[in-house]
Amino acid sequence: MAGKFCVSITSAKNDTDKATVGFVVANAAVASAQETLVFLSTEGVRIAVKGYAEEINEPGFAPLKELVANFVKAGGKIYVCSPCFKKRALDEKSLIAGATVVGGAKLVEFLASGAPCISY
Amino acid sequence: MDHPVQPDDTWDAGDMGCGELVYLLMQRLRSIRPGQVLKLTATDLGAPQDIPAWCRMTGNPLLWAQHPHYFIQRKES
Repeated sequence: MAGKFCVSITSAKNDTDKATVGFVVANAAVASAQETLVFLSTEGVRIAVKGYAEEINEPGFAPLKELVANFVKAGGKIYVCSPCFKKRALDEKSLIAGATVVGGAKLVEFLASGAPCISY
Repeated sequence: MDHPVQPDDTWDAGDMGCGELVYLLMQRLRSIRPGQVLKLTATDLGAPQDIPAWCRMTGNPLLWAQHPHYFIQRKES
């Protein structure tokens, strides 16, 4: 039976290394038959805005846009922290495919089912 | 679409969201009796995901929902 796995990402252009490696690990999890969730909070929520990831190309890794697209294509889910999104006045109509704005309860429900979580 | 139940209490949480919303929702629900229904209005973008999740976790039935309105029954005991 597939397990659950969560990757928490709190960085975007302020730390492209962390933002990128977070999605690399998320892809490893989803490719390993895990029900995988990426939780984007604080600065990380910017990754959920269309076009933003196109400008992040960390040396040594695939472009972030490609990593995100592959993750979603493989069935990965992306939760976007609601207050973090609102604080930055981002537009919900510009969300990338596979991303959903949620509050804490939705994340808690996922983790409370026994999912491990790694943070970047 | 009309909601199917008459609420015993109402709470307009405005654009409150995340932990603050569900914490105060917990307190608000405690102020009504088991079996009674609270009509919550919450405009936060995360509410459509959060309120059903919170209801599943706490066992308080979500009787009806059409964002931003949620009818939540306080569970028995």
